[in-house]
Amino acid sequence: MGIAVGIDLGTSNSVVATVLDGQAVVLADAEGRSVHPSVVAFGYGHSVVVGHRARQQLAYAPENTVFSAKRLIGRRFQSEEVQRLRKHVSWGIAEGPRGDARVRVQGRLYSVQEISAHVLAHMKAIAEAATGQAVDGAVITVPAYFNDAQRQATRDAATIAGLDCLRIINEPTAAALAYGYGQSRRQHLAVYDLGGGTFDISVLRLEGDLFEVVSTAGDTFLGGDDFDAVICDHLIEIFRKQTGADIRENPAARAKVLDAAERAKRALSQVNAVAVKVPGLVRGDDGNALGLNTPLDQGTVQRLVMPLMQRTFAVVDEALAQAGMAVSQIDHVLLVGGMTRFPLVREAVGHYFGKTPIDHLNPDQVVAQGAAIQAWSLTQFAPSSGAPDAVLLDVTPQTLGIRTIGGFVEPLIPRNTTIPTEASKVFHTAHDHQTEVRVVVCQGEGRNIADNELLGEFVLSGLRPAPRGEVKVTISFAIDADGIVRVVARDEETGHAVDLLIEASSNLSRAEVEQMRFDDVGF
Amino acid sequence: MNDARLRTLVEIQTLHGLLPELDYYRALLLDRGCDADAVGEAFRRESRRLHPDRVSALRDEAAAAQANDIFRLVNEAHRVLKDPEQRARYDQLLAQGALRMTDEATASAQADKRAGDPESAATNPKSEKYWKLALTDYKNKSWKACVMNIQFALTFEPGNELFKEYLEKATKERDEAEKTKEQNPYKLRIM
Repeated sequence: MGIAVGIDLGTSNSVVATVLDGQAVVLADAEGRSVHPSVVAFGYGHSVVVGHRARQQLAYAPENTVFSAKRLIGRRFQSEEVQRLRKHVSWGIAEGPRGDARVRVQGRLYSVQEISAHVLAHMKAIAEAATGQAVDGAVITVPAYFNDAQRQATRDAATIAGLDCLRIINEPTAAALAYGYGQSRRQHLAVYDLGGGTFDISVLRLEGDLFEVVSTAGDTFLGGDDFDAVICDHLIEIFRKQTGADIRENPAARAKVLDAAERAKRALSQVNAVAVKVPGLVRGDDGNALGLNTPLDQGTVQRLVMPLMQRTFAVVDEALAQAGMAVSQIDHVLLVGGMTRFPLVREAVGHYFGKTPIDHLNPDQVVAQGAAIQAWSLTQFAPSSGAPDAVLLDVTPQTLGIRTIGGFVEPLIPRNTTIPTEASKVFHTAHDHQTEVRVVVCQGEGRNIADNELLGEFVLSGLRPAPRGEVKVTISFAIDADGIVRVVARDEETGHAVDLLIEASSNLSRAEVEQMRFDDVGF
Repeated sequence: MNDARLRTLVEIQTLHGLLPELDYYRALLLDRGCDADAVGEAFRRESRRLHPDRVSALRDEAAAAQANDIFRLVNEAHRVLKDPEQRARYDQLLAQGALRMTDEATASAQADKRAGDPESAATNPKSEKYWKLALTDYKNKSWKACVMNIQFALTFEPGNELFKEYLEKATKERDEAEKTKEQNPYKLRIM
């Protein structure tokens, strides 16, 4: 029998871990590296390399080297996020057959699921090489605020990679699991997760082996990239003052400054001030090359990013309000995500909560470790094994509802409801002689359907023609522990029912996923 | 299959068979008079025992589905009983013979509340708009407009019993008014 692993499938990097002798350990590759770039490079003749080797190719064949693909997963081509990303990546993004965003490399279209599948298969191969055992199943982590379509697309990626996806769990929850595993103290924990592209906050109640998510909130448009962008804008403004040249609309020059901003941000986590030098940005009026040369200190950066930090705190306020708790009731704060390595982020979070964040855990590895613990718990039947078990009570991150007349949303399962759960509501026909109802299922907090993500729709027909309001239809939602949503519409008079399993919310059909499956990925 | 596995499977199956008979207190193994802390404790105890993840390692799909059903009830029981207001409402329903706080049961409780306060009878923003207008018309005895506005409100919320009740009253008043109008000699003269 093989092993079960936990995989942190990150935007920039991925990590794989498993439980060995009651400890969650990160598995390294032959070179001893435990963090692997989520980069997939295509060579000639359909050859594919992943991870560190793929990142090396980024320098000389950027158009064939796909990075940050996670930002596209489960998204529509026309969405704001996708259009914004198109400006920042060297590889192609095109519209798929169902309006989904796809990756275009060497004239071929790839679904984002296939790209992620390459990363997952790579992690599986690393785990198998490290342990000498086959990988049977995996728990894969996603941002807490991922919607159903994004989660389903991640499941598809696992299937394509030939991995049995035991569960999709939330990154902050996984981190909490790694932190609290084996502790017996009763406590309230806040997990502040600021990554490259998204921000998540989760409030948990820990008691022994029970991990209860009380509330979660997030912003999928707020992350380290936004920090880079404000620093970049500041540098561009300095350059304009120094030389009079405006490079805001010059993509090539802007890209260079953005790169410098990112490096300056990193350097400033170690030192108080750096000199930012970017030679040869544009040609001046006299034909000479103009470059940027300016000092940048921590204080300036702190002032620049403070509004972004404030935005994260507004989300934290929301999560606390949902939990019905005050900041002072939080016993510990756990930091997760690459951005929380920066002292200014740690300090600001410390000030907000009024306590020093926990810092003995490795923010790069803690999510994969937590996923490994969950994978262990799901595959080991407790009474027959000695190692402690963990029970995770997670919540629905976003409200689930259906469309009602006038384009409004009727919520059925509010966000932050503990799963598994169910809810049902009785609806009446809205028109005379109405013989069918179209049930449109959506996810989000908007009152109007247009502000929410559509998960799927189906029709219940054969209703008795009658004056409006006379015929009753019951709509029921049920969510299992694995987060999969099932919706049933039942005609109360005939008992006739139609159901929808929300798995079609990713843009690939079952058949397509099966067809994409890698033929036995070896290593 | 070892004893512990078998015992768990039997336990799940037995409990699943009992589900239709369980009220929230029985689902959490609680006394009806228990305090709020006991509710949380019971929920955590039952979560450890009955959470579907505990069963998933058995790789038995039927048992997993049953465990999900069971836990949904445990979860629902906790959600209602931990909130004093909801618990009080549930206790009333329970005394009337209901086991669960279903949509129907809640709706009838809400309808009772609405009957006392017509202002908050509308449940969606569109119907609310017309319902407000209808109530103003009702106060001003503009019966014709009142009937029309209630009808509009009903388009958005056809099942609202209070709307229907008011519609009936307003229609009656309108028809009465029409009758008196017909006897109005001045109107005849104008024609």
